Amino acid sequence: MNDAVRLQLEDFSLDVEVAALRAHSKRIGGIATFLGCARDFSEEIEVREIAFEAYHDMAHAELSALRDEAIARFGLIDARIVHRLGTVRAGENIVLIVVGAEHRAEAFDACRWLIDELKARAPIWKKEITPQGESWVTPHP
Amino acid sequence: MINVLFFGPVAERTGSRQISLDFREGLRWQDVRDTLRARHPEAFEIVSVVAVDGRRVGEQDTAPLADGAEIVFMSTFSGG
Repeated sequence: MNDAVRLQLEDFSLDVEVAALRAHSKRIGGIATFLGCARDFSEEIEVREIAFEAYHDMAHAELSALRDEAIARFGLIDARIVHRLGTVRAGENIVLIVVGAEHRAEAFDACRWLIDELKARAPIWKKEITPQGESWVTPHP
Repeated sequence: MINVLFFGPVAERTGSRQISLDFREGLRWQDVRDTLRARHPEAFEIVSVVAVDGRRVGEQDTAPLADGAEIVFMSTFSGG
């Protein structure tokens, strides 16, 4: 079984990650997911690819800490976080968060909290590659 | 030696991903920043997060660095 927190070059499978979560416990009553995808358009410019890079060790430690915090804060049964690195083409997957809880409310809340905190705390950067050139992305609030 | 790493937009502005500096007793991360900021002012304009050995530090952290310390000067994150 893959680790619950991963930074990886290759694509991931939503089905595989949900199955891994479900295999953890039959006490799960609700699973919420956030799947971040690469858009082909940003700030009115065509985007062909997005290149991700990370301070890997710190990013992995931050994501692991976030998972632990979310499990404790929302009373989750389990959570998984996968973020891709390297070049991601428009339309492909970037990040997946899967959380399992006894009830839907904490699953939804935890999923939203995790992606917001990931964006704020994980040392990962993205560069948009367009027909006009390349530029590092300034985060949206 | 002190090992300094740069990623993403900061690396683009410094033109390098790694710099090694000589270690001396009492050296603080702020001293390293001041030295490198003088060399690469355009890169340090966008530095907003600093980590020493994988842990975030702030201006209040003035402990001397250990020989072999790893310092990373980072811009605002944009993952996800």
